[in-house]
Amino acid sequence: MTHVNTGDLLNFQDYSPEHNERSARIDVEAVHTNQYNTMSTSNYNYEEPTPVEEQETQPSQTANHNFWTIEYYQKYFDVQTSEVVERIISSVLPQKVSRNYFDERIKGKPDLYGPIWISVTLIFTIAVSGNIANYLQSANKAVHWRYNYHLVSYAATAILCYVWLVPLALWAALKWTSTNDNQDEIETQASSSPSMISLFCLYGYSLSIYIPVAVLWTIQVSWLQWLFVLMAAFVSGAVLIFWLLPALKKSKYFLILIGSILAFHFLLATGFMLYFFHVPDTASAVALKVLTTLPATQL
Amino acid sequence: MTSFDSKYDVSFMFPAGDVGVVEGEMNIPSRGVPSGDSMEFNTLDEPIKETFMRDLRAVGNKFYHVLLPREKSSLLKEWDLWGPLLLCTFMATVLQGAEEADNTNDGGPEFAEVFVLVWIGAAIVTLNSKLLGGNISFFQSVCVLGYCLFPIALSLIVCRLILFATQNSFLFFLRLTITMVGFAWATFAATKFLGDSQPEGKKALAVFPICLFYFILSWLVVSHSNI
Repeated sequence: MTHVNTGDLLNFQDYSPEHNERSARIDVEAVHTNQYNTMSTSNYNYEEPTPVEEQETQPSQTANHNFWTIEYYQKYFDVQTSEVVERIISSVLPQKVSRNYFDERIKGKPDLYGPIWISVTLIFTIAVSGNIANYLQSANKAVHWRYNYHLVSYAATAILCYVWLVPLALWAALKWTSTNDNQDEIETQASSSPSMISLFCLYGYSLSIYIPVAVLWTIQVSWLQWLFVLMAAFVSGAVLIFWLLPALKKSKYFLILIGSILAFHFLLATGFMLYFFHVPDTASAVALKVLTTLPATQL
Repeated sequence: MTSFDSKYDVSFMFPAGDVGVVEGEMNIPSRGVPSGDSMEFNTLDEPIKETFMRDLRAVGNKFYHVLLPREKSSLLKEWDLWGPLLLCTFMATVLQGAEEADNTNDGGPEFAEVFVLVWIGAAIVTLNSKLLGGNISFFQSVCVLGYCLFPIALSLIVCRLILFATQNSFLFFLRLTITMVGFAWATFAATKFLGDSQPEGKKALAVFPICLFYFILSWLVVSHSNI
C-alpha cells in the first residue's frame, strides 16, 4: 500500500488562477483609478472565493471558548489510552492506584470519553446478551424464537437515566448539605465538593464492571445470576463510596447518602438481571410479581 | 481594448472618489479535455447519461478501494455520500422486521431505526474522533465510515441467501462466520483510512467506537433470521 500522507490530502488545495491554467480568468483594466499606486495599468484578477479548510486546532489552553464550538468540549476528551485504562482499573480495584487518585487525577481532569463510551458499550452488551439469554430460555420450547431489537431502547433508557440523574442528585446533595469545618480560606482541591463532571466521570467508570458481568448473566442458572448481582453491585458500589468518602464525610447526611448510593447501585444491577436475563421461576413468587409489573415485550 | 493609462497627471482631471469605467474581458481557455481532478466547467453540454456514469464510476471506484484498501486519496480527497446512502437504504430495507397478522412487530428494527443507527452512529463516531483531536473533516470521516459498510452489506446478502434453505445449526454457524468476516474486514478498512488522523496514544480510543459501530451492525445482520 502506498504510504500517502493523509496530512497532504487534507491540506488546502491551491485553485488560484496563477497556478491553474484551466480556470477562468477575467482581465479587468481599470480605466480610471483614484488609487495611489504607481502602476500604469492595474490588472485585477478575479479569484474564486477560496474554500477555507476546516481548522482543527489543538485543545486550546484558554478556557474562554463558546459553548457551541468543539474546542469547549475538547478539554473533556483530553485523555490518552493508558489513562482511560487506568481509570477503568481504578473503578474496580482501587488498591492498584494511588490513594488520592480521585482527588489528584479525576477531579482535576475529568473526562467524558469514559462515561459516554462505557455507557454505550453497556447498552449494546446488555441488548445482545439479553437476546442470547432470551434465546436460551426458549430453546426447549416449540415456539419459533425471534430476536427483540427493542431491548436496546429499554436498556438505553435505564442506563442513561442512571448515569445522568443519580450523579446530578448526588452533586446537589453534596453541594447543599456540606458543612465546611475549616474556617481558613484555603480551599484545596481535596476539600471542595466534587464538580458535576467529575461525578459523571466516576459513575460512568463505575458501570464498567457490568460489561463482563452482563456477558456472564446469560448463563441461565438462577443462583449464579443473583451471585453476580451481589458481587458486581457490592464491588462497584464499595469503590464508589471509597472514592467519594472525603467528600461525603463533610456532609450532614453522611449515612443516608452512603445508603442511597449503594441502594441505587444495587437496584440497577437487580433491575438489569431480572428484566433482561432472569429465568421466570414458577416456584418463586417474587420473580413472578416483578415480571408482571414490567411492560410486556413480544417474543 | 482601449484604456486610459492611469498616471498621476491624469488624476487631477477627476475628482477624488470617482470610480470611472471598468472594462474587462472574460475568456475560458479551452486546453483539451480536462482531467478528472480539475474543476469541470462544461458539464452543461454533455448528455445526462455521461454525468450520471461519471458519478457512478466514482462511487464504484470507492467501493473497490474499500474492498482492497491500497490508496487513501480517492475516499478522502473526493468524498461523497452517495455510497453510504445506497448501502444504508439497502441494509435498512432488508433488515426491517416484518409485520405479522396480529399487528405485532417480529422484533426486528424498523427501517427508520436502522437508518438512524447508521447515520447518527457515524456522526457520533466522527464527533468522537474530532473531540479527541483528530485532524479529519466531518464529512470525510462520515464518507469513510459509510463506504466501509460495504463488506457488511455483502455479508447481509450472503446471509439472506443462506436463509432461503431450511435452517439448522451448521447454517447458523456459517452465517455467524460470514458476518464476523464482514465485521473484521469493515473494521480493518476503516482503521486503515482513519487511523493516521489521530495522534499517537489516542489511536485505540478512536478505533474502539468504530469497532463498536460495526459490531452493532453485524449483530443486526446475524440476528436477522426471519424468512
